[in-house]
Amino acid sequence: MDDIITTEKLTKKYKDVLAVSEISLNVRKGEIYGFLGLNGAGKTTTIRMLLGMINPTKGKAFINRKEVHSGSTDLWKEIGYLVEIPYSYPDLTVRENLEIIRQLRLMNDNNVVASIMDKLRLTQYANRKAKNLSLGNAQRLGLAKALIHNPNILILDEPANGLDPAGIYEIRELLIDLAKNKGVTIFISSHILGEISRFSTRIGIIHNGKLIQEINTPQLEQLCQKRLKINTRNNNLAKSVLHQAGIIAKDTTDNMLEIQNETIINNPESIATLLVNNQVPPSLLNVVEEDLESYFLRTIGIKGE
Amino acid sequence: MKNISIALWTEYMKIRKSKIFFTTLIIFTIIPMMISLMMFVSKNPDIASKLGLIGTKSKMFGENDWKGYLGLMSQLIASIGLLGFGFVTAWVFGREHSDRTMKDILALPVGRPSIVFAKFIIIFLWCLILTVVTFSVGILIGQVIDIPGWSPALFSDFSKSFFITYFLTLFLCSPVAYLAGYSRGIIAPLGFVLLTMIFVQFIGLVGLGPFFPWAIPGLYSVAKDEPGFQLHLSSYIILASTFVFGYWATLRWWQHADHH
Repeated sequence: MDDIITTEKLTKKYKDVLAVSEISLNVRKGEIYGFLGLNGAGKTTTIRMLLGMINPTKGKAFINRKEVHSGSTDLWKEIGYLVEIPYSYPDLTVRENLEIIRQLRLMNDNNVVASIMDKLRLTQYANRKAKNLSLGNAQRLGLAKALIHNPNILILDEPANGLDPAGIYEIRELLIDLAKNKGVTIFISSHILGEISRFSTRIGIIHNGKLIQEINTPQLEQLCQKRLKINTRNNNLAKSVLHQAGIIAKDTTDNMLEIQNETIINNPESIATLLVNNQVPPSLLNVVEEDLESYFLRTIGIKGE
Repeated sequence: MKNISIALWTEYMKIRKSKIFFTTLIIFTIIPMMISLMMFVSKNPDIASKLGLIGTKSKMFGENDWKGYLGLMSQLIASIGLLGFGFVTAWVFGREHSDRTMKDILALPVGRPSIVFAKFIIIFLWCLILTVVTFSVGILIGQVIDIPGWSPALFSDFSKSFFITYFLTLFLCSPVAYLAGYSRGIIAPLGFVLLTMIFVQFIGLVGLGPFFPWAIPGLYSVAKDEPGFQLHLSSYIILASTFVFGYWATLRWWQHADHH
């Protein structure tokens, strides 16, 4: 597949602060690349470098195999973007704000403004001044500005900010449709793995400016740890029984027992048999899969194994 | 050229609905009205004596005729223009930061140089409107209060001087535009404008006004022949260089600075 977005050891240093450190990644055509990291991890700095808004201290960024720089006007024709919280001209209406972007994107078709307002459910707010929009509708306006010219490449920084659950679902479906049916390449940042894993094809995790992991989303499930949770009427006795059988069980914060042994997790019935035979029948036996947020926090070293 | 005209249209859209545009229009209408009031008071000493401070100030005209009145109007566009045009420039460039819309105009098919150029054009046009308003209101009210000594030749000289002063004052807007970018806002460039107005007073006192860009439009408007007030060719070169340097710095900042 064609690489659409590529970075080579992209680095940004501010005096003593290394905001982004040698990030090398590539995003292929039609891919939704989730760029995941905590606040301050370096996501926005990377995105701004991809858009020629910040000059890299070292390394290069390429889009469509062309090196990105501040004057890449031809390149920007193909790119729609949203960086951080979108703001618009407060005294202008939704329609006028979009009209400005339509003009600056050199689009002759007058209907695109109505069309994008319709797509993002902004038509009823067309004549409302941007300063009077709710946070969610301001976000929709930001997305409308990014999508107005049907770009081939979308670079979106936390696009779900401020949207309600229905809005998040709607935008997610829209992005999936763009990638799947129109071959749009999407680079999207977020700090919520659970959200981004629902539609990304690949995820890159950035922490302290470094790209620490890249995973294909289908692999994610395999990487999430599983645990067998056990509860009995006498957990101390159960723990002792398990220990005698050579099985390590840990106490959990919710007063249960937990086993991380993969063989046992795949055969929980063996534990049931063992406990029943030793007069401590389990009242609960549950294979729990680590949630994505825990996996993310474990990967960046904030939450222990 | 197409990109510049598009950028110009978008800049027009941005100011068309702003309160600032109409506020500046009102201010530049009120100022000549105040000068006319002073002239009226000066022409009528019995009213002047009852008004204390205004009565004293009104003596600044020298002679209570069109020559004195228009002379003050010329000085006005140099001093109020310096502040007003500086404010307009600070707003046109600084608002992208205060409204946080800067990032929306950095990665577009219409390049940054076209946007910067269009912003300067809109500033020139905006300031021209303010100048024409001040000029028209001043002349109109002068006619209404029936100032003596009107002549077509005087009007012609004044018009030339007034609009050249406007033009010279405009040359000082580019450093303000640069500061609006560098400081990412409106406050610092406005502070800079006020600072230059203070410096003009001190530098004028030591006779270096013809070599200080911010004093040159004011000196042109008073057109005095005394030493320390005469403008030289070098004065105009300094003024033009200030504009070119400010424009270059603004453009360079837009193109090469890190935009956070």
